[in-house]
Amino acid sequence: MKKFWVIVSLSIAVLVFSMCNKADVFPDSGYDDRLSGGMATVFDETSKAFTNMVPGLSERDAIVHGQGDKSFEQTFVTAPAPVNSGLGPIYNNVSCISCHHNDGKGTPTVGAPNSSMLFRMSIPGTDEHGGPLIAAGFGAQLQDKAIVGRQPEVKIDISYTDLPVTYPDGSTVTLRNPHYKVLQNYLPMPASYMLTLRLAPPVFGAGLLENIPEQTILSYADENDADNDGISGKPNYVYNPYTKKTELGRFGLKANTSSILVQVASAYQQDMGVTNYVFPQESSFGQIQDDGYKDDPELPDTLLNAVAFYIKSLAVPARRNVLDAELKKGEAIFTQINCSGCHKPTVQTGVDVSLPQVSGQRIHPYTDLLLHDMGDDLADNRPDFKATGKEWRTMPLWGIGLFQKTNGTPFYLHDGRARTLEEAILWHGGEATASKTKFMQLAAEDRTRLIKFLGSL
Amino acid sequence: MTAATLTYISCNKSDNSSPGNTDDFATLEKTVLTDFTNNVAIAGYLDLDNKATVLNDAVQALNTTTNEANLTAARNAWKGIRTVWELSEGYLFGPVEDNEYDPQTDTWPTDYVQMDSLLASSNPLAISDLQQLDYSLRGYHPLEYILFGVDGNVPASGITARQKTYMVSLATDIKNVCHALYTSWIAAPTNFGQMVTTAGEGSTVYAKKQEVYIKIAEGMIGICEEVGRSSENTGKIYEPFIAKDSNIVESPYSENSMTDFKNNIIGAYNVYLGKYVTQGKGFTDLVKAKNTSLDNTIKQKFEAAISSFDNVTMSFEKAIFEQRTQLQTIMDKLSDLKTTLDEQLNPFVIQYIKD
Repeated sequence: MKKFWVIVSLSIAVLVFSMCNKADVFPDSGYDDRLSGGMATVFDETSKAFTNMVPGLSERDAIVHGQGDKSFEQTFVTAPAPVNSGLGPIYNNVSCISCHHNDGKGTPTVGAPNSSMLFRMSIPGTDEHGGPLIAAGFGAQLQDKAIVGRQPEVKIDISYTDLPVTYPDGSTVTLRNPHYKVLQNYLPMPASYMLTLRLAPPVFGAGLLENIPEQTILSYADENDADNDGISGKPNYVYNPYTKKTELGRFGLKANTSSILVQVASAYQQDMGVTNYVFPQESSFGQIQDDGYKDDPELPDTLLNAVAFYIKSLAVPARRNVLDAELKKGEAIFTQINCSGCHKPTVQTGVDVSLPQVSGQRIHPYTDLLLHDMGDDLADNRPDFKATGKEWRTMPLWGIGLFQKTNGTPFYLHDGRARTLEEAILWHGGEATASKTKFMQLAAEDRTRLIKFLGSL
Repeated sequence: MTAATLTYISCNKSDNSSPGNTDDFATLEKTVLTDFTNNVAIAGYLDLDNKATVLNDAVQALNTTTNEANLTAARNAWKGIRTVWELSEGYLFGPVEDNEYDPQTDTWPTDYVQMDSLLASSNPLAISDLQQLDYSLRGYHPLEYILFGVDGNVPASGITARQKTYMVSLATDIKNVCHALYTSWIAAPTNFGQMVTTAGEGSTVYAKKQEVYIKIAEGMIGICEEVGRSSENTGKIYEPFIAKDSNIVESPYSENSMTDFKNNIIGAYNVYLGKYVTQGKGFTDLVKAKNTSLDNTIKQKFEAAISSFDNVTMSFEKAIFEQRTQLQTIMDKLSDLKTTLDEQLNPFVIQYIKD
């Protein structure tokens, strides 16, 4: 009988406690603000802050990560060669690292060995999967380099004009407005062609972003702006050429890629001309630059997988100075003027039993991974699957305060036009207009506080 | 229990508790950084700059008068600058990485297919044209290919007119890059030497001295891994060794790889000792001040690793097949050294260098 009462009282205790603690997320106060990537966070604020593997990988995983790391840095050369064969015949650069400096963002120039920009081109209409319609003779991306004896598809000239902005308090900032010109095109440009450019983004933390449950991302969507806050937010659905399915887009500046594997594979094939099992055909296939070798896929499968795993298992750098009072005020302003409407501070990742470091983590990516209209000034006017010519995916802000260290000179936004965080904010338009206007109306010291907060990410 | 307590008490000798001693250590921390900057890094890069001028002069002379004597001189000058460059890889951080001076001169692999097409073409090859080329067509290794030839013994008469034009631009390019590298440590805008010496005292790169020490330790660890066998199964010795493939050797035409490897580790040891030519205070002095036994261990492991290279009596390309035991020994010694640096020197830095 005594046993019975013990069981009853224990059951009641369990019930009571389980009612108290709904087994949801813990309150904010229970977390360390520095852990931007949860368990996948590293404490490194040097120029190598983006290059660390997530802590606690198994010995085998660490070896794969290391091989991916090495491949990421390897220079590719013209086929046939004993090592790293398969560069080109047309390409944008020779290795991953030459665009993603220190695994971070690149330099917004074209044509130089350390240039990190590329151009994509399409013509009006969509392909059979709803993606951009490519122009015959050019492919989806314009390669501005070629091996000796072949002609690059184009050369691009970038110039800037000044664009002054005046705050209500009278202070001014001069933005630089980019202009792009196609030169030396090897074929006549197609009618009504649409160009867009991309500055290589940082690659760390992708394993966490890939592991955010689809329903979480969709829960942020508000396509018709039902809550009337001026911010809609729309998922991109894109074709995955490997799974041959339409999937939620997460990567790329218009969220036009659904997985790390496809992102990496397409960078090898399009940016470097290195074919692989996901994209076994040369980017120059059918064009006069094609080398005609039967050496595809040029990249060993294991290396593609290792690089994809490397990207997946790159850790997020921890935040700095999180207890600084000024910075805390900046953080409050970030929410107050609704930057957080799109740059979601806190997201919970889903389950991935293969990599506990990215599984079930409470992370601070400052993105909703959705598309937002960013206004005419940032528009590239080139649709990409569901993304219109004005829409861009919310850029994750984690690590943004370290760009200066990882890149020497920092650049921001999709084409690196912004040289400071302040310039980047001032370029925001469209759905972000209300937040930007509020930012401009802030007292100068509050603007500084907000930027200080961003610098801690 | 009593014995255990006694043991712990005796372990914790707190020999740094006297304020005077701590002050000395703090001074030493700064001196070591200053001496590293001036006596190792800047001295090394100045030597590199000088050797690049010697190489450029020798290549110009070979271009003007293409004979065996001038070819030999140019080859020696090439080996001369390689020695200094490989030594400097013992501290591969700062502008050499940030400003891409390393890939501009030492990218590997060289794009030999494209180089042959380039030489066969009529594309202009002036220095300004060269600077537009990918890094895999610039620097030491394309020049090595021309000066030594595929079999390492091309005669002076075998160097074509196009190769001469290319070689002159390559040597000029190397000279320019090495000079820029040296300048980046001593003058604005980078003035990296100042960034190191003022670490924790206004340096915009290093908020704490500890950060530089970690960088320096990482540099030493990194080169051990790069030369031998890393925990990720990569490495300049390991990869050709395990694949039994002499095509993937770094300096194949000059057969200079073994020398390169040994110089890399000597370069790291120089960093530890704080000397290039002039002997100042080094990392060793800091370690000795707190842990003589660790200092002795590190020195002993460095010396064991460096002397293990001498057991290989042929070129690396041949040793891959014929002296595998000796190569394995080198990798073991390097791994041993790396483990000590990683597991003992790194914690030492964290424990004692706090500012």
